[in-house]
Amino acid sequence: MIVLEHVSKTYHPQSIGLDDVSLRILPGEFVSIVGQSGAGKTTLAKLLMAEEQPSAGRIEIGGWDITRIRPREIPELRRQIGVIFQDYKLLPKKTVFENVSFALEVSGAPGSYIREVVPQVLKIVGLDEREHRFPRQLSGGEQQRVVIARALVHRPKVLLADEPTGNLDTLNTQDIMDLLVKINAFGTTVVLVTHNREVVNALRRRVITLKDGRIISDHQHGKYTL
Amino acid sequence: MMIMAWRIFTASWSHVWRNLWIGLATVIVFTVALLSVNVLIATNVLLERAVTFIEDRVDVTVLFQPNTPQGVLDQAKFYLTSLPQTQYAKIITADEALVAFKERSKGNQKVLDALGELPGNPLGAELVIKANDSSDYPFLLDAVRNPQYLPFIHTSSYEDHRDAISWIQDAARSLRLFGSALVAIFVFFGLLAAFNAIRVAIYTQRDEIAIMRLVGASSAYIRWPFVLEGVWLAAFASVFTAICVGLGIVYGEPILSRFFGMDVGLQSFYLRQGAILVLAEFGTIAALSGFVSWIAAGRYIKR
Repeated sequence: MIVLEHVSKTYHPQSIGLDDVSLRILPGEFVSIVGQSGAGKTTLAKLLMAEEQPSAGRIEIGGWDITRIRPREIPELRRQIGVIFQDYKLLPKKTVFENVSFALEVSGAPGSYIREVVPQVLKIVGLDEREHRFPRQLSGGEQQRVVIARALVHRPKVLLADEPTGNLDTLNTQDIMDLLVKINAFGTTVVLVTHNREVVNALRRRVITLKDGRIISDHQHGKYTL
Repeated sequence: MMIMAWRIFTASWSHVWRNLWIGLATVIVFTVALLSVNVLIATNVLLERAVTFIEDRVDVTVLFQPNTPQGVLDQAKFYLTSLPQTQYAKIITADEALVAFKERSKGNQKVLDALGELPGNPLGAELVIKANDSSDYPFLLDAVRNPQYLPFIHTSSYEDHRDAISWIQDAARSLRLFGSALVAIFVFFGLLAAFNAIRVAIYTQRDEIAIMRLVGASSAYIRWPFVLEGVWLAAFASVFTAICVGLGIVYGEPILSRFFGMDVGLQSFYLRQGAILVLAEFGTIAALSGFVSWIAAGRYIKR
């Protein structure tokens, strides 16, 4: 479960990222965080992955209070939260296989485990026949699938997707969303941060709407209302 | 643990190859710094050798009055020989001193003529004193100038040698001081170069570092390859320095020995101390280089 209790993030006195946000996300939920630019979506994502610390309030992920997480604990947290970005963040000089295995290598997984798990994950995202290709040889949608595979390789409890379809056309957007729904169906909590109206409306899942750093609506089968 | 250590090790190697040119520049600066240390050490060896060489040839001669009784001379010799500071004391009789003087003045007929005009032997006996250490000469001279022997002493030759010994010792001190300052400057610039080399290396890999952090790499996993890269650069510099010093000794020592007219002893010194020197130099430069790499990497691994 993800719990936020009265969380605020202030960058400067005039620049407020989040303002007294409280919410609960149950295990296995698929939640969309929506809002216009500057609403606080990315701030929320950064707080969840401990890239920033809240100015006030408390954040708990799976019973782990990460509000004042120690730097040495951050890597462990990030292995439990798979993160997907709009700009992919793939290593251009590594193949698809290497980009995914990289995530396991840095956490000290043995080579035999890597050789076993990476093909499985690539099969889930439909890239099992493209493991020797480089990112430049893939379409935008395929690159985002590699990112999803990399995020899944640690078998995370939570998948945090920050604008995952921002750089994709409609067809690829649909593919990626289908993949996220499939991953959610396996039991992984998915937190989708987006301002894509069509995507949110098509999902018919829980929607939390942010405006000026505050939650203005939270509906179980919501729509993009802004 | 072993897997991580191996991956850090291989990553450090790939860092070195990816940043070959800037790494090479750092290795050159390190090598210059280490060479300057070795030049200082070699100069020190040379000066020590020169001091020993001169000291070996220096003794002090106490000239006695021509009419000094043999008993006084024997007593003075016995007294000095009994002192721990004395290596040996030897009496040259007045007749032997005259023979030696004539031998030295062979080419100077005027001196020989003047000597022939004098009635008898104008020279007195001499007491040649060799100290164990050059700094003991003042003490030994004071010892021999006690009231028992002072009325018979004409003069001593110590003043002639004292200036030469003291000049060499002063020169050695100044050179050590100047050399240390020079080494400190080279080491400083070497470290600055290493710091920048590592920073450039980190900057070129900042995207990779960001992704490593994103997927859960520990700070140590990100940092240690850069620290090891600094150690590799120090190792290369140490090897280059050892090669340069080795070649310098092989080709330079015969020239130096001919120039100074003595065995300068660099080869024997490096054969005795070379391994320890290389290890000490590598250890120092690797520790410093690793430390600056640690600092340089710190900026990119925050959260």
